[in-house]
Amino acid sequence: MSAAASDDRAESVRLIRDSAAGLAPRTGDLRRIRALRFEDPGFDRAVWKQMCEMGWPGLRLPEEAGGSALGMAEYCAIAEEVGAALAPEPLVSATMAARALAGTPHATAILTGERLILPAWQERPNTLDTKGDTTTAGGKANGRKIFIPQAAGADAFLVSGKDGLALVERDAPGVTLTTERTQDGGNFGTLSLENAPCTPVPGDLTEALEEAALATAASLLGVMDRVFAMTVDYLKTRVQFGKPIGSFQALQHRAADLKIQVSLSRASVESVAAALDNGLTGPARLAAISRAKARASDSGMLVCRQAIQLHGGIGYTDEADPGLFLRKAMVLCNLYGSATLHRTRFATLAVDSDEG
Amino acid sequence: MTAVTPHQPEDLNHLSDDAFRQHIRQWIEANYPPELRNPPKRLHWSENQVWYFKLAEQGWLCPSWPREHGGMGLSAGKQIIMVEEYERHGVARTNDHGILMVGPLLIAHGTQDQRDFFLPKILAGEHIWCQGYSEPNAGSDLASLRTEAVADGDDWIINGSKIWTTLANDANWIFLLVRTDKTAKKQEGITFLLVPMDTPGITVRPIWTIDLHDEFCEVFFDNVRVPQKWTVGAVNQGWTMAKALLGHERIYLGSAKLSQYALDRLKTLADRMGVAEDPDFIDRYTRLKLEIADLKSLHATYVDVVRRGEELGPDVSMLKVIQTELFQKITDTMMEVAGENAALLEPMEGNRELNPSGLFLQARPSTIYGGSNEIQRNILAKNVLRLPG
Ligand SMILES: Cc1cc2nc3c(=O)[nH]c(=O)nc-3n(C[C@H](O)[C@H](O)[C@H](O)COP(=O)(O)OP(=O)(O)OC[C@H]3O[C@@H](n4cnc5c(N)ncnc54)[C@H](O)[C@@H]3O)c2cc1C
Repeated sequence: MSAAASDDRAESVRLIRDSAAGLAPRTGDLRRIRALRFEDPGFDRAVWKQMCEMGWPGLRLPEEAGGSALGMAEYCAIAEEVGAALAPEPLVSATMAARALAGTPHATAILTGERLILPAWQERPNTLDTKGDTTTAGGKANGRKIFIPQAAGADAFLVSGKDGLALVERDAPGVTLTTERTQDGGNFGTLSLENAPCTPVPGDLTEALEEAALATAASLLGVMDRVFAMTVDYLKTRVQFGKPIGSFQALQHRAADLKIQVSLSRASVESVAAALDNGLTGPARLAAISRAKARASDSGMLVCRQAIQLHGGIGYTDEADPGLFLRKAMVLCNLYGSATLHRTRFATLAVDSDEG
Repeated sequence: MTAVTPHQPEDLNHLSDDAFRQHIRQWIEANYPPELRNPPKRLHWSENQVWYFKLAEQGWLCPSWPREHGGMGLSAGKQIIMVEEYERHGVARTNDHGILMVGPLLIAHGTQDQRDFFLPKILAGEHIWCQGYSEPNAGSDLASLRTEAVADGDDWIINGSKIWTTLANDANWIFLLVRTDKTAKKQEGITFLLVPMDTPGITVRPIWTIDLHDEFCEVFFDNVRVPQKWTVGAVNQGWTMAKALLGHERIYLGSAKLSQYALDRLKTLADRMGVAEDPDFIDRYTRLKLEIADLKSLHATYVDVVRRGEELGPDVSMLKVIQTELFQKITDTMMEVAGENAALLEPMEGNRELNPSGLFLQARPSTIYGGSNEIQRNILAKNVLRLPG
């Protein structure tokens, strides 16, 4: 990319990031987030509609499909802000569905916020396999899908299986949705399908899933970046033994180490997003995504754990904010692949790729 | 609060250690409420009083107290066996501040009146205590505490607030460190007071933890008037009183019990997730298992010191650092092994044995309370290694 093109690109990322400030603010209190926790559907449909009006789930879709044809750099910038804001709206999973459905009226319904269609792709923990054992042949879906984030608010599911993709209405006969609460106050759905009517749709979730993994790494980056900033502020203001605790060298070194982790995570996520936008393909592409997700998952958890420790007793309370970030990291760290899963995948892929 | 009539226990010191261990084990197995084994959260009085009363009736509530005060008068070695047997069975902590702290303190430093009044009430489960040391601005730097008591006739008038007071919402008495001399050096103007929680002017605000449990509280004191006769030790000698209780706490915080429990749960989880046979998991698991074994070996050397009736030195801080960080490392590993289940708010499949996120959160505060691990490392650097500065 030329220097001018890359400046343009940086400007585009900056603009998109700034545009997130209203719906996904990086500063201010977390009252909205707290109010939505542990109540179904776990997010605010009206805010989701506004996010749709801002074009967020369509960032990655071509213009002719109603999207804005932006790159992974822009998508990761938004996902990072959504992470930093702890916004519970299902941006990453809805984007995944919209991406797979691009060009169909179903995608349009997602992009306008009219219908929330969430991907139901997973059948086992610790996997990126979207096929599983579910069948959708003959207009009847049979199978069981798990770990569907924010499923309590879905109108329909984009179900993957041996026979390709199919849409299943939440209220259709043969569909049972149960949800379990997650640490961040949202929910994971389990979808059981027994001869449930379904509409086959073309396409495949593989690529959309890869992008979801990288966007989740970006969200983790937002989570750790903000909780780290809060922690540095606390080190400067909390006084014990007559001085700010940030004056104790043990804590200074700890903060410096965490800064290194945040910087490595940012470098990892942003360079991988840029590489994807520059056309990286094949095993090298998958390996790069694994590199970013493994880093963001490990560093995100580390930074959040240390944020609690450095806040002392108040860090262990629900009323202080660091805990909210830890709980978000607990949800995101293993979504779309844990650090271990991604490292393992990297090891098998990277041998014959540029990422090796 | 209901109470029971405690039983004066028979003297069990004559038993061999093995016979004693068997005796304790059988009784625990026969009497401990099964539903309270290894509870996922710290139990409230409403839940654990059954067990407190059982122990009280048996006369086993206070193993360390001398027999003339209603304790078991056990040798240090037998006390340790008792703790080991509780840990082995997954016996939950009761509201034990009276048993572990107030009782021993009064036996050593209280007046006869105080002993006569308080000890029987602890033994009967009539007084449930909480510990009011920390304040919003006095945590690691405890000696800077500002809750003050001003003498007024035969009374003290207390103003200020305490925070992180574990189970203050269950307690009817609180022991306090308060400032009684603002002009003295900070450790020298502190007094140790015993205060009934139902005194007018005291309010308790439960604080929810990140594990979503009302396990600790903030306690406010607004012109709280209490008699001076409940001062323990001399006025302005409270810091010495508090220090007398500390070493004791650190050896308990250094026990491998929590780590061992977590390691067992890690194994259960790995079995459930189907990774128990993966070479990567076996390596990680074995590493943690060996760390526990080494911690136990180190712990045993300190237990020997206690058994010989000697004082523990500042190096006991090592135990606390090792055990708490090991506990955390094990639960960190659980989070990785659990995959997406790490996100769940409740135990997996409704099974308490499969509770990675819960254990992970419960492991967080252990490096903060009881003197944070940073403070323990400062002690090791300064008081053990005598490093300059
Ligand atoms: C679950 C729980 C239960 C508790 N129960 C009780 C109770 O029943 N009664 C009671 O009185 N208290 C209780 N506490 C309070 C506990 O003792 C304090 O939280 C602890 O002393 C730390 O104080 P703080 O929270 O004010 O943190 P701070 O002292 O503000 O510490 C913040 C951070 O700075 C670090 N730090 C501070 N000073 C230094 C230094 N000099 N060098 C390096 N690092 C430093 C700390 O290690 C920590 O990481 C409890 C706490 C918890 C978490």
